[in-house]
Amino acid sequence: MKKITLEAVGETVYYETMPNGLTVYILPKEGYSKTYASYTTDYGSIDRTFIPIGADEKIVVPDGIAHFLEHKMFEKEEGDIFQTFSEQGASANAFTSFTRTAYLFSATREVEKNLETLLNFVQEPYFTEETVEKEKGIIAQEILMYDDDPDWRLYFGAIENMYERHPVRIDIAGTVDSIQDITAEHLYTCYETFYHPSNMMLLVVGNIDPEETMALVRDNQRARQMEPAHEVERFLEEEPCVVATKEQVIQMDVFKPKVNIAFKMPAGRKRGRDYLKQELATSLGLDLLFGTTTAFYDEAYDEGLIDESFNYSYTNEATFAFASISSDTFEPKKLYARVRQQLNDQMDTLDENDFKLLIRRKIGQFIRALNSPEFIANQFTHYAMNGVDLFEHIDVYESLTLDDVKEAVRPMVNEEAQTVMIIEPLANEGEPE
Amino acid sequence: MFEKVEWAEGIDVYIRPTDQFKTVTMMMQWETPYEVERAAHRAVLSNVLQDSTKKYPTYRAYKQQLDALYGSTLFTDVTKRKEMHRFVLMSETVHEQLIGENGHLEAWLDFIRETVVAPNVTDGAFDADTVRRERRSVIERLDAVYDDKRRFARRRLLELMRPGEAVSQSTYGTKEALERVTPESLYTEFQRMIEEDHLSIYIVGDVDVASIETMVREALPFERREARAERPVSLRRGDVQEVVEYQQMNQGQLHIGYYAPITRDDERFPAAQVANGLLGGFAHSKLFMNVREKESMAYSISSQYLSQYGLLLIGAGIDAELSDKAIRLITEQVEAIQRGDIHAREMKQTKALLANGIRSALDTPRGQMMVYDQFKEQFPNFSADALIERWDAVTKEEVVDVANEWTREVIYLLRGGEKQ
Repeated sequence: MKKITLEAVGETVYYETMPNGLTVYILPKEGYSKTYASYTTDYGSIDRTFIPIGADEKIVVPDGIAHFLEHKMFEKEEGDIFQTFSEQGASANAFTSFTRTAYLFSATREVEKNLETLLNFVQEPYFTEETVEKEKGIIAQEILMYDDDPDWRLYFGAIENMYERHPVRIDIAGTVDSIQDITAEHLYTCYETFYHPSNMMLLVVGNIDPEETMALVRDNQRARQMEPAHEVERFLEEEPCVVATKEQVIQMDVFKPKVNIAFKMPAGRKRGRDYLKQELATSLGLDLLFGTTTAFYDEAYDEGLIDESFNYSYTNEATFAFASISSDTFEPKKLYARVRQQLNDQMDTLDENDFKLLIRRKIGQFIRALNSPEFIANQFTHYAMNGVDLFEHIDVYESLTLDDVKEAVRPMVNEEAQTVMIIEPLANEGEPE
Repeated sequence: MFEKVEWAEGIDVYIRPTDQFKTVTMMMQWETPYEVERAAHRAVLSNVLQDSTKKYPTYRAYKQQLDALYGSTLFTDVTKRKEMHRFVLMSETVHEQLIGENGHLEAWLDFIRETVVAPNVTDGAFDADTVRRERRSVIERLDAVYDDKRRFARRRLLELMRPGEAVSQSTYGTKEALERVTPESLYTEFQRMIEEDHLSIYIVGDVDVASIETMVREALPFERREARAERPVSLRRGDVQEVVEYQQMNQGQLHIGYYAPITRDDERFPAAQVANGLLGGFAHSKLFMNVREKESMAYSISSQYLSQYGLLLIGAGIDAELSDKAIRLITEQVEAIQRGDIHAREMKQTKALLANGIRSALDTPRGQMMVYDQFKEQFPNFSADALIERWDAVTKEEVVDVANEWTREVIYLLRGGEKQ
């Protein structure tokens, strides 16, 4: 067992790689009642074309399968695993993203037992045609729920606009139609290919003893000797750097129009500290250009061009990266023009003092976030899977320069990489606009 | 859990020294009986106070000062509790030891002082542009409820159940009342709040009680005020109704409201919490296991117990074409509890998760303040264990007893398609 200490904030993380390839991180939090654990596999909605373990030919699986598999992991021959967690006083959950599937629990008692339950239920698949069929109704309702969510539709519409071939353009849960094709056999194939310990990571944060917890995991994994680690071969088609569609407008039953202005960014395939630098520099750039301390924000908010829903973000994964700016607004086109103007005019005049103040805010925010075991576990996993440890944040913030930031956001200026997604209220027949 | 500091009549200060967190957190809470005009004014005020001050007269200057304080946060907001309207200020900063800067705590408290004592006011009025802008923002926030179908449906259910009562009224007042807010009327309301409202202050962090008390007293020179008696909630039965409304949407939002007349002061309150947990509070609950897992009727389904108002709400996202079946299945789960069809395992699970919930809530500074604030009158020496003991003592018979007080009043379905 090794450890990394961030002395400035008094946190230490212990880690070890098990003989079967599983990476384990443990971070004790003194004074906390809660322990939060997440068991994550490097497998998400974009992994739809791959060579299954033990096979020679690549296959394409139905859309939404990673998410479907996540749902079905909770059902066992003896019943629903939620029942067991509840009985042991743990609140359990799971989520699937573009690139990952995570299973988690939080508990204040019986942590060892709950940890074993987490490990074992994710390690013991049980799928039958009957249980797979039954799940389709539940997931269909989940998909329809998202279909009624304008913010989700706006976000996904922008992604569809950006990508022509990359599977990030497919909704994580798939469609009501695509999930009908999923079979128990598909689930086993995906499970065996992607849930190999070498493709997975366990994070435990909270009121625990690192030595004892690591020993528990070691014992659990000893019983799980596997075929040696393998790198899953995944396939993606070549994706152009320009956006697929410049603009899309849909109608929904909403009060106020909504716009998402998205920027297709170079997918860096960076790892380690370079990855973190790229991510932080881009986010800082967005703050300096569009954040609450900018003249852009001040003017646009004052005019009512943006409102409290105004938001921006940057997503950075190995095979895709994008920035997006969104708001409810009665004038989507005008907001887009204003954003473009801001990018073109201000990129080179970003202020050094603003930058220094921003770095100070970011470091403070980061330290405050360490209050939360959930933040630590989720973010540690995110960064570790990209080859860098969460604790390097402060260091990287201190090392970044304003030029790094400008370089990181410069691709946003390219109009061919910009796209606009708009949701309009329904046009009421017979009523004045 | 918290140390209560004698301050002045009508002002309560609670301090919790702990080294659990990397931060120092402060919450201030002003309380007044709910009235629409007042709620509207305070909603706008909650936007205006965190926009600027006399010393930092623009949003940019105000925000940059927070940045200079190492990304400290300060948010003001309005909420409701029973018949009372609350104006809440929440501010957090990194502990000065972690940034190695002496005097940081004082600088942070000074910023809070600026915000609540020296706002951006000239000649008895708040800055007119700021008020215009923030009034618009709050009105648009009210309008935006329409875009979130689940929230909209829940709002409609409450309006149908308790029209005109605090529980169904917005914490932001009404659009009409918001439009009446002026820079002058806002300042009048601000003064009334600062001078007359009951005020509670909470502080959590690695602080020395005596010295932080001195610092806060210096920063916030508030004087005594009449301690206003809380207006009690009067529980009453509502009309039985079935209402269907249409919007263009894919899913059906089915929301069912029960009268559940057991409030926090009732000795059966812990049993009522267990009953709600059994019905729909968790992933092992009857609604989740039977309506979702067994019948595949829903993805999201749960119940919520509004103990302050004696209401129990059930919400589910369903296929609207199957609403009759969904209503039948949901009703069956309620009836199962009323009949005592409750397994010992379900009791154990529910109690374990209630306990986990309260212990977990206490793992954040905000959670410590909110939980203590809710329970301090009943439990001056509050601890999670005291609550957990009460849940553990609840018997199946007590659960059946409280569940039999539930009466279904309103079935509300928001759905797509057109009225037949």
